[in-house]
Amino acid sequence: MSEIAQKVKEIIIDKLGVEESEVTPEASFTNDLGADSLDTVELIMEFEKEFNISIPDDQAENISTVGQAISYLEKNVNK
Amino acid sequence: MAYNLLKGKRGIIFGALDENSIAWKTALKCHEEGAQFVLTNAPIAMRMGKINELAKVCNAEVIPADATSVEDLENLVNKSMEVLGGKLDFILHSIGMSPNVRKGKAYNDLNYDWYLKSIDISGISFHKVLQTADKLDAMNEWGSILALSYIAAQRTFPDYSDMAQAKAVLESIARSYGYFFAKKNKVRVNTISQSPTKTTAGTGVGGFDVFYDYADKMSPLGNASAEDCANYIAVMFSDFTRMVTMQNLMHDGGFSSSGITEEIVKELTK
Repeated sequence: MSEIAQKVKEIIIDKLGVEESEVTPEASFTNDLGADSLDTVELIMEFEKEFNISIPDDQAENISTVGQAISYLEKNVNK
Repeated sequence: MAYNLLKGKRGIIFGALDENSIAWKTALKCHEEGAQFVLTNAPIAMRMGKINELAKVCNAEVIPADATSVEDLENLVNKSMEVLGGKLDFILHSIGMSPNVRKGKAYNDLNYDWYLKSIDISGISFHKVLQTADKLDAMNEWGSILALSYIAAQRTFPDYSDMAQAKAVLESIARSYGYFFAKKNKVRVNTISQSPTKTTAGTGVGGFDVFYDYADKMSPLGNASAEDCANYIAVMFSDFTRMVTMQNLMHDGGFSSSGITEEIVKELTK
């Protein structure tokens, strides 16, 4: 697992209060991990802060699963 | 129809998330009535909602502030006076959030860190707003400061969970600070206890639809809408309500004084 993927999982576990085993690539923030609308925005803002990037709203709308978050960040974060 | 009730008045409106928000409707109403104001919300709520759209319509500046941070509030109040060109005549506190409610924690299974958060964000933040405006000497004489409450502060609504204490704190702060602000420069401080309202925050409470319908049937006039509330707030910010202070004002279509109504009787004799 990449360093980014690891960090993303940590943030999700911390913010949503879920178990590590639940945080699979297919897991949807709202359907599987119990996130509400405020949580999903909080997650995006937390990713932005952690990886020092800005995720435009139209891109953020497409990030609804753990896997989508990881692949977006792996593509867009300057290593 | 506009009456120019708030012509020349300056203020700050907290908590306009989207077009369902009571603060949103209040901003439109205050604009219509001739007020100038600054809009504010927590950065996360701004990101989630669309406050900038409202700002355009109302020709208002948006200044982000976390209402639990005194530093943010000082910046907000100072900048607002700068932008608006003088001291303030009104402030609306229309914010609240409970992690316990959001995560569906029952009242007899609360997370205590979250409990404190609920009370800080939804209750104590009102004191912070008042104390900041007070210390910065930001209010004009006969100014009006309001926060929005709900009757669960006084009677038990099981699903309202820890927000009941947060609203009780809010109402009590209006009474306590109302004394100090009245003595200082005749500023009035009140809370409005509003009917359940279909906003993002409101519908987050479990079983919302049922207690919305129940309240509607228990209120001789029916539930007060967000627009009705905005109208009431405009009047409370106007010079026609100068001597009203330290009150929790019921704005609920008669709900709080009703024992039973025909509609409820019908429902139960089905």
